[in-house]
Amino acid sequence: MKILVPIKRVASLDDEFELRDDGRDVDPDFCEYDLNEFDEYSLEAAVELKERAGEGVVEVVAVTVDTQDGDEILRKALAKGADRAIRIWDESLAESDQIAVARVIAKAVEHEKPGLVFCGAQSADHGHAQTGIAVAGLLGWAHAAVVSGLSYEPGAPVATIDRELEGGLVQKLSIETPAVLTIQLGINKPRYASLRSIKQANAKPIEVLSPAEIGLDPAQTGLAGSLSRVRRMYIPERGRSVMIEGAPAEQAARLLEIVKEVNG
Amino acid sequence: MIPIGIEQHAVTRILFQDFAPWMVIVFYAYACAAVGVFAWGVYVQLRKYLAGRHAGRIDWARIGGRIADTLRMVLSQRTVRRRDAAAGWLHTGIFYGFVLLFIGTSTITLQEDILAPLFKIHFWYGDFYLLFKLVLNVAGFALLAGVIYMMYRRGWLRPPKLDYTRPDRQKTDSDWSRERYRIEDWAFLWTLSLIGLTGFLLSATRMVWLEQDPAVWDTRWWAPVAAAIATLLKAAGLDPAGAADLRMLLWWGHGILALTFIALIPYTKAKHIVTAVVSWLIRDRAPVARLPLGDLEGQRIGFKEVKDVDSRYLLQADACTKCGRCHEACPARAAGYPLSPRDLVLTLREHANQQLGEIIPLSTSAGPISLIGDGEAQIRAETLWACRQCGACTEICPVAVEHVPLINMLRRTLVDEGELDPALQKTLGAVAKSGNSFNESRRKRARWTKELPFEIKDARKEPVDILWFVGDYASFDPRSQKVSRAFAKILHEAGVDFGILYDDETTAGNDIRRVGEEGLFQQLANGVIETLGQCKFDRIVTTDPHTFNTLKNEYPQLGGVYKVDHASAYLRELLATGKIKLARKLDYRAAYHDPCHLGRLNKEYEAPRSVLAETGATLIELRRNKDNSFCCGGGGGRVWVPDPPGVSKVSEIRAREVAEIEGLDALIVNCPKCMTMLEDAVKTTGNEGRFRVLEMTELLAEAMEFTPRSDTPNVVEAV
Repeated sequence: MKILVPIKRVASLDDEFELRDDGRDVDPDFCEYDLNEFDEYSLEAAVELKERAGEGVVEVVAVTVDTQDGDEILRKALAKGADRAIRIWDESLAESDQIAVARVIAKAVEHEKPGLVFCGAQSADHGHAQTGIAVAGLLGWAHAAVVSGLSYEPGAPVATIDRELEGGLVQKLSIETPAVLTIQLGINKPRYASLRSIKQANAKPIEVLSPAEIGLDPAQTGLAGSLSRVRRMYIPERGRSVMIEGAPAEQAARLLEIVKEVNG
Repeated sequence: MIPIGIEQHAVTRILFQDFAPWMVIVFYAYACAAVGVFAWGVYVQLRKYLAGRHAGRIDWARIGGRIADTLRMVLSQRTVRRRDAAAGWLHTGIFYGFVLLFIGTSTITLQEDILAPLFKIHFWYGDFYLLFKLVLNVAGFALLAGVIYMMYRRGWLRPPKLDYTRPDRQKTDSDWSRERYRIEDWAFLWTLSLIGLTGFLLSATRMVWLEQDPAVWDTRWWAPVAAAIATLLKAAGLDPAGAADLRMLLWWGHGILALTFIALIPYTKAKHIVTAVVSWLIRDRAPVARLPLGDLEGQRIGFKEVKDVDSRYLLQADACTKCGRCHEACPARAAGYPLSPRDLVLTLREHANQQLGEIIPLSTSAGPISLIGDGEAQIRAETLWACRQCGACTEICPVAVEHVPLINMLRRTLVDEGELDPALQKTLGAVAKSGNSFNESRRKRARWTKELPFEIKDARKEPVDILWFVGDYASFDPRSQKVSRAFAKILHEAGVDFGILYDDETTAGNDIRRVGEEGLFQQLANGVIETLGQCKFDRIVTTDPHTFNTLKNEYPQLGGVYKVDHASAYLRELLATGKIKLARKLDYRAAYHDPCHLGRLNKEYEAPRSVLAETGATLIELRRNKDNSFCCGGGGGRVWVPDPPGVSKVSEIRAREVAEIEGLDALIVNCPKCMTMLEDAVKTTGNEGRFRVLEMTELLAEAMEFTPRSDTPNVVEAV
């Protein structure tokens, strides 16, 4: 069986950064890019299933919707044990919102025909936590979000999963396959991709597909296919705090003054 | 020498005197069998060692020097006496006793079985014979005295380093203790002592038996120990006839014991007689300072199964005598981590014996078993990660076992398979991305220089005499930044033409390599070599011993050959040439903590001590200093991994050791990582305010009087 693992290249900011001239995103010069932390766990979950099943039973395919810059995280995925890597891109995909990206991934699922799709619970940069679930919606598959435990025999019609709820509760449920799971941090211990294994992964091919090749209608993606659009990115003015100094009695007096001031 | 009236040729020992022919046949048959068993054992062990990888780390070109060095070590027994003089001296007695007795016995064989029958040459009589007896009596006495002391040591003294319980196992594990090794230890001592005792008794009974023969009796005091025993035996009423019977019994007892001992050498701890010598002969001169260069294209980057392990380490595992010096010296072991270098080496030995055979050769066709794992005769991953790569074990090993590179090669497998602490993964990820372990932007690397009243030259843009390689900690750690500024001011004051690499400096990668991430290390090192290749400078100076070590010892493996000095050596030079002028003499009582990478790894003990002396401070030596310095706990990448709850920190053990000193003003460290670890530990052990933690550089700056005392933290306020 096949497990598809959609992964994303996310940005992390320097302490000091500048915004792009159009004010709609951070200037990429001030970002470091890496594989989304949540995707480390979804990828590990897939690779662990593959390793437990023995040679040739499970195939793990990593997929990303990105420009050529996305090759870096695909290599990392290959180094960590993915069997194949697919990158889907052309200019028509620029400015896609999370649902538009989900449409691309859903088409990739139809193209690859996996039995399971493991997404990260959310992305570390934008944090919509929607893409994975939207993929399930588009496919009409069963889905579970924020999965913190997984027990599955490759090929079986049902998987048993745990979900963490509020208040320390754990919900155990069985889910029919094919299914989309979004994986929570802490479900496993993601392995390290050593520099040597990444270099060795450089020798493996990355399959590059255009949206047209997997049957995507340009109207469904990019700016045209997105119902949301980033208008502006900014840092809101911070609330000001004041340290009250002096002896406890003085501090109390000053505090009372402030309370009276605020209350008018 | 020979009393008048006795003929020279009469003064000798007649071999097999009064033996029936069948007895002689039985003896020779047994001797041949013993030699056969010995030879088989040698074959099985050699086959075992040669099943390992043969990485060419032996410099055969200098074999003459190696042999001379090995002879010096063996004959002086120097390494056995280190940090355990009593056991060492008595071992020296056993060694010389054994060697002389072995040579003596071989001499008899030479005459009786080779020279006499083939060439009719006889020399074993007369004056030579008497001297021979004297020498062998002294040798036998030394051997016995040594062995009896070792029994006393094992039985009554029981030093903690001879405790065979294992820090790398839980009490509930079946292999928690290596107690069964005690059987072998005692069998070894008893066999040696019985061989010695029966030898003396045999000689004494022969004297009583042949007391009528003046050639025997009148020369008996040439064998003083045996003669004294003979006197006692006669006093106890032994007559010549009884002595003849007793002699026959002792002869066989002595002969069979000695031959059996020889036969069993390759199978028991006695094999160290050979393996220890070969281990020393092929030893690496800098096993800790210069780790093996990994082949990134190879099938495997580290050791995973026994056949990946270099032959040298398999031999070393058999050279180990469980003396426990490494066990005693290991900081991780002292702090309660699941690591003992001794047990790691013994596990390798047991693993190799199980996989390849110790008595019967085995083939591993059943499928290779990983050397790393949680089973018996496997090394646990947590054991490998406990190591600080400080080299305390390798330094003190009397038989040149190289624990540090062995652990590193096993770690390389763990890293390659991705099995490492999440905190460490984050750090390595950060280093791969941004070139530093602080996950800071490259742009910020030289920001510490902004507070300086002068600008430091950009070595990328103009030639400099001194290229200062700052290092990660000295660039980013706020405490160490102060030290860096102090060092910059000293160089400025001394009029040194120096520069730094600004944004283009990355970590030199010393600790990345020690973690076991060889691929990342080589990438970093190649990058640094490329950057340095575009700069013009006379030599590199750094305040960081880790950076110093890798630039000096490891970069040449990748083609980067530079003149590299640690700051303390360079400061000593500036003081000696009068470029630095001291404004005042400091009256501090100061303790100096030798950083592993400067001291033990690079043998630089004197430069920092002489700088310290120049400042006027009085040096108080720590209990563990120089080659026995106790790691701060931050080596081998452990500075990036939080200590788990429940174990004491290595750094706190050191801090408590420092705090034992009464009236100390300052602990002088000489490494940014030691500063981080020890300053923290001084606080957590409740010793904050009792003494300051200063870098060597800061101490000198105080003596030059441009760094006000308030610039450093934990200043003792008006005591």
